[in-house]
Amino acid sequence: MSGLSQTAAAAEIVVERRFVRPSAWRRLTRQPVAMTSGLILVAIFLVGGLGTHFVSHPLVHLTDEWRNHPPTVRSWNLFGTDAIGESILVRTLYGLHTSEITALAATVLATLIAVALGSIAGYRGGWLDVAIMRVTDLLGVFPLIVVFLAVYTYFTPVTAWKATFALTIFLWIPVARVVRAEISSIREREFVQAALSLGATDRRIFLRHLLPTASGTIIIAATSLLAQVFVLEATLDFFRLGVSTATQNTLGNLIGEGQANVFALGQGWWSWGCPAGVLLVILVCTNLVGDGIAEAIRPPRQR
Amino acid sequence: MEGMGAFILRRLALGLLAMFVALSGSFFFFAAKFLPLSETPMLHSYWTWLRGIPSGRSLNDGLLGGHLVSTVGHAFGRTMLLLALTLVIVVVIAIPLGCLAASLRGSVVDYTVRIATYVAWAVPVFVVAILFQQGFGRIPGGWGTGWFPYIGWAGECPNGQGIDPHNFQCPAGGHGLTHVGQVIYHLLLPALALALGFIGLNARYLRNSVVDALDAPFVTVARAKGLPERLVVMRHALRNAFVAFVPAVVSDIGVLFGGALVVDVIFQLRGLGTLFIGLLALDADGNTPVDTYELQLMLLFAAGVMLAASLLGEMLLALFDPRTRLD
Repeated sequence: MSGLSQTAAAAEIVVERRFVRPSAWRRLTRQPVAMTSGLILVAIFLVGGLGTHFVSHPLVHLTDEWRNHPPTVRSWNLFGTDAIGESILVRTLYGLHTSEITALAATVLATLIAVALGSIAGYRGGWLDVAIMRVTDLLGVFPLIVVFLAVYTYFTPVTAWKATFALTIFLWIPVARVVRAEISSIREREFVQAALSLGATDRRIFLRHLLPTASGTIIIAATSLLAQVFVLEATLDFFRLGVSTATQNTLGNLIGEGQANVFALGQGWWSWGCPAGVLLVILVCTNLVGDGIAEAIRPPRQR
Repeated sequence: MEGMGAFILRRLALGLLAMFVALSGSFFFFAAKFLPLSETPMLHSYWTWLRGIPSGRSLNDGLLGGHLVSTVGHAFGRTMLLLALTLVIVVVIAIPLGCLAASLRGSVVDYTVRIATYVAWAVPVFVVAILFQQGFGRIPGGWGTGWFPYIGWAGECPNGQGIDPHNFQCPAGGHGLTHVGQVIYHLLLPALALALGFIGLNARYLRNSVVDALDAPFVTVARAKGLPERLVVMRHALRNAFVAFVPAVVSDIGVLFGGALVVDVIFQLRGLGTLFIGLLALDADGNTPVDTYELQLMLLFAAGVMLAASLLGEMLLALFDPRTRLD
């Protein structure tokens, strides 16, 4: 009996060393909704990332007939045109490109910083631990949107890279708190204590035990951060305090410009509705994938 | 409840300390950035501001003149009214929706509610706000149904929108009860837009906790003694699900507040959001003075709401659920 449980414990250690456990991946592939939305998300990101290389910008129809034209299949006018005859499809493609790069870069950078600092804080404790906890408290004092509205004024005129920077330097904090909590709880578990008593170096413990075990939590936190960054960035751009359409199109400022021009120039709903639709699809898919990953990594009990 | 008072006091003290540090940080940020103070030594202006707080001078007398408490307080009142109406809508819609989905678990209704709540939570609040504004607002030449005024507070018509072409006056806001009705009528669309996401979130949470409660032994007992299913859900399952639901809704107020600022700008209610963004946008050319004291007062109100919401949420959780450990 004891032999069996020892074997089971050994097996668990071997399994925990993998970054994403094979069982979790298998559980993820068995969720059709999560997999489909994941594929849609990848497709949208690919189109946004590469699509701009295949269109000539700006695609303007300068004839009167094409001004403020509703969406049609004819001549690829799928998203309609705005009041001066620019194709909303092309503008949305460029907006998607900027928004997606900003969101992905900010999420990846913030997660990297969070993992680095959060795991040192969780593993070592000490002043960094205290500092991270207190900084998290400070970030919770104001609504996030207020913080970024103020911070963005420092970066005017805001460009995509400045926005990425601003989002990164604030949004690693909540992720770091999650990573810190996870690492400090893993640190107390038997297999880490065993490795410590065997004389493993900190580096080895971190790379072989802590990071792989915490990877699930980190992935879940990063996915929810991605959705949050998309929303925040779009909201700020929408209010013209973020990236402006004069510099770069983003999904947020396209929606903002379209909405304003509905009143000012009598533009049709498609000028804000189509970029908003793309944003909506991205957000729904990101949330679905995030929930799917969370469910695969930490399966809930059957309902 | 022995440790309750001490716990709340400690949280309050920590919260106030964090608020003080954050407000100092924002003061330095604004003072370095915006004009009237960016030309004076920063520590000096910080000290002047700090020294004026106990007497209320830095809170009320604007750097560029004007009574801040009346301007900002007025806007804050509007935002809070929007928030209150939103909370009522969230509770009134989310509870029946969650219960319905839970008691019909696995049915078409359940799946529809789950998908709808999912999408509702995923849509950014500003997109919902535009959609509702154009779909249900009375926009001249718009495609919507025109059930509600699309911008402005009762008795106001920002930018002359909705103005009466005969006497060039805004539509009357009414007096007494009519005024209350008008205010709610004007707030309904913004509040619905703000509520939608949180209805999604809370209906989903409530459904899951009612489903959990329906599987619990005490519900089986309630069914065994012959209670009708409606009473089982309402008296037993829902009451237990409330333990988690009410504190969750209350702590959401902080997040809702951020959304209220966004909605406020889109519907031009002249609340805190309009005021804040209006002040920040002043500086777009880089040399228009911006009243740092006014910004600070707004941040103070915002921080107060956030702190109150989080404290109240924890207090309610501790009150309802004796298992919650206070430490």
